[in-house]
Amino acid sequence: MMTVLDSLAQAFANITQPMMLFHVVWATLLGIFVGSLPGLTATMGVALLTTLTYGMGRDPAILVLICMYVGAIYGGSRSAILLNIPGTPASAATSLDGYPLAKAGKAAKAMALATTGSALGTFVGIVMLMLIAPPLASIALKFGSYEFFWLAVFGIMISGQLTADGNVLKGYIAGLLGLSIAMIGSEGIHAYVRFDFGIREMSGGIGLIPVMVGVFGFAEVLTAISSRRGVVERSPERSGRSLPKLAEVVKHRVTIIRSGIIGTFIGIIPGVGEDIGAWASYAAARSRSKERDKYGKGSQEGLIAAETGNSAVVPGSLIPAITLAVPGSAASAVLIAALFIHGIRPGPMIMIEQPDFIYSIAVMLLFATFAIFVFGVTLTPLFVAVLKIPYSYLMPVVFTLCVIGPYAISQRLFDVWVMAVFGVIGFILRKMNYPMPPLVLGIILGALLDKSLRRGLILSDGDLTPFFTRPISAIFVAIILFGVLSGIPAVRRLVTGKTKGTATREQ
Amino acid sequence: MLRMKTADVVTGLVLCILGIAMVIGGYTMDRLEIRSIHPASIPGLVPMILGVLLAICGALLTFTSLNKSYKFDIDVDDPKMLFTALGLCLGFALVLLGWIPFAIATFIFITLASYFFRESRGETTKDKALTFAKSIAFAAIMSAAISALFRYAFLVRLP
Repeated sequence: MMTVLDSLAQAFANITQPMMLFHVVWATLLGIFVGSLPGLTATMGVALLTTLTYGMGRDPAILVLICMYVGAIYGGSRSAILLNIPGTPASAATSLDGYPLAKAGKAAKAMALATTGSALGTFVGIVMLMLIAPPLASIALKFGSYEFFWLAVFGIMISGQLTADGNVLKGYIAGLLGLSIAMIGSEGIHAYVRFDFGIREMSGGIGLIPVMVGVFGFAEVLTAISSRRGVVERSPERSGRSLPKLAEVVKHRVTIIRSGIIGTFIGIIPGVGEDIGAWASYAAARSRSKERDKYGKGSQEGLIAAETGNSAVVPGSLIPAITLAVPGSAASAVLIAALFIHGIRPGPMIMIEQPDFIYSIAVMLLFATFAIFVFGVTLTPLFVAVLKIPYSYLMPVVFTLCVIGPYAISQRLFDVWVMAVFGVIGFILRKMNYPMPPLVLGIILGALLDKSLRRGLILSDGDLTPFFTRPISAIFVAIILFGVLSGIPAVRRLVTGKTKGTATREQ
Repeated sequence: MLRMKTADVVTGLVLCILGIAMVIGGYTMDRLEIRSIHPASIPGLVPMILGVLLAICGALLTFTSLNKSYKFDIDVDDPKMLFTALGLCLGFALVLLGWIPFAIATFIFITLASYFFRESRGETTKDKALTFAKSIAFAAIMSAAISALFRYAFLVRLP
C-alpha cells in the first residue's frame, strides 16, 4: 500500500512541474478542439500528435498523448450537443439526448452534465485502472506462447464481433486483413522476410503509424469533404450555467458509477472502443431507468450515461494496452506504438521493469480529467467558435499533417505512400461497412499471433494439444468458440428456439 | 452509387483470390531446411492459415450476399468533391512531394484544396477571385508555419 502511495506521490510531484502542467493545458485543449470538430477523431488526434512527440522526453510525450486522448473523447460531446453531429463516433449516443436538450434551450445545462459525466467517468476508470492493471499484469506473467496465441485470436474475434455494424463476417474479415498486413516484412523467429515483393522498404514491415494516420486521418478527410459533414448550420445558444448543480450529480450517482464500470470493462475488451462503451452504458441506464420514455427526447440521465460510459473507456482501454500490449481501443493502439517509440515496452513485464508506470499513467489521466472539467465549464463560447472553422481551411491543413507526420518518423517517402494507400483503402472499406478497429488490432497482434503459434509448436514438438489443454488456453478457446458460434445467426436461432425468418440486424 | 450487394459479391471474390494467393505464397515460401529449423516453425505457416481463413470468409461473403436482400447501397453525398479531394491529396502526397521542396508543394496543395473544398454555390466571379486570394494568403502562412515547425522545432529534414 505504501509503495502505491509512494508511486502516486512521485507521479504527482513529476507532473506538477510547470512545464508538465503547461503540456496538460495545451494538449487537453487541443484534444477538445480535435474532438469537437466532426471529422477529426481521437485516434487521428493521437496519431498525428505522436509524430510531434519524437523530440520530447518520455513522460511529457506520454502526458500530451493521454491529454489529447481524454480531451478528444470529451470534446466530441460539444458538437453532438450543439449541432447533433457527433464530433467523434464515441459521442453518437450523446447526441440522442444532448441535442434535444439543446433544442429545448438547455444547451449549457446539457454541456455541463456532459462535462461532469465525462470527468466522473474517467475518474471511475482511473480507480479501476489502478485496481485491475497490477493483478492483470501478474496473471499475464503466467501466459506462455499458447496463451498469447489465443489472446491474439480472442482480441481479433471480439473486436470484429463487437465493432461490426450488423455483419459480423465483415468484422472478422477486417481483422484477418490486418493480420495479413502484419505478415509483410521480417518475421520474428527466423528473421525471414515475407511478402516484400522485392521492395526494400517493405522488408521491415508496414509501420503502424502510417497505417493509422491513413485509415483514421486521410480516410476521415475524404469522408468529411465528400459528405459535407460538419458544416455548421445553426447558431447554438451561448448563455446559461456551465457548472452543474451538485444535487443533479448526486441524483444520478448510480448511473454514473454503473456507466463508469461498464465503460471501463468495455475498454478492457481488445479493440472495441469508446463508441461501444457509450452505447452499452446508455442501454444499461435506459433498461433500469424509471423515466425510460424520456430517453432520446432529452433525458439528462441518458446524456450522463453516454458521456460517462465513453470517457471511462479511455482508462479502461489502457489496462490491456499497458499490461498485455493489446489495445482496448484504436487510440490506445497508437499509444502502444508511441510507448515503444519512447522506450517503454508494454506487456506483462511492465510491473517488474517499471512498476511505477501504471500509477504515472493514472496521475496523467487524473490531470487530464481535471483539465477537461475546468475547460468544459469555463470555455464553452470558445468551443462554439471552433465549430465554425470552415472545413475548406481545416481539412487541407489536417491532410498536410497526415503527410508530414508519418514522414517525420523515418524520413522516407515510402511511409507517405503507405499512408495514402491505406487512407484510400480505409475510406473504401468504411463505405462498405467494414469496421476499422479489428484491422488495426490485426496489424498490432499479427506478430504476437505468428510468433506465439510457431514458438508454441516448437515447444510442444509440433503437438497441438497444449493449445487446448492448458487451463488459461482452454478458457480462451471456450470463450472464442462461444463468441464465434453466437455470431452465426443459424446457431443463435437454434439456441433461442426461434423459427426461420427471425429478423437480424443485418441489412 | 454502387450497390452494396455487388460490392460485397466482388469483395468476397477478391478476398477468395487473395486468400488463395496467400496460401500459395506461404506454401512456396522458403522452409529454411538449410538452417535445420523445426518444421512447425516455417515462416509460411501463419500466412497459409490466414489465407485459408480469408478464402473461407470471402466465399461466405459472396454466398450470403447473393442470397440476401439489401436495404441500402453505398452512397457518397458529393462524388465530384470526393474525386477532387482524392486528386488533390494523392497529387500532393504521391507526385509533388519529393519532386519539389516540401514548403512549395504544401503551398500549392493548401491553396488549391482550400479553394476547391469550399461551398461555391451562388458565387460571382469577384467572390471567386477574393476567395482565391484568401486561399493563397492562408496557404502561404500555413505552409511556412508547418515547414518551420517540422524543420526547426522537430529537426526533420523535409522532403
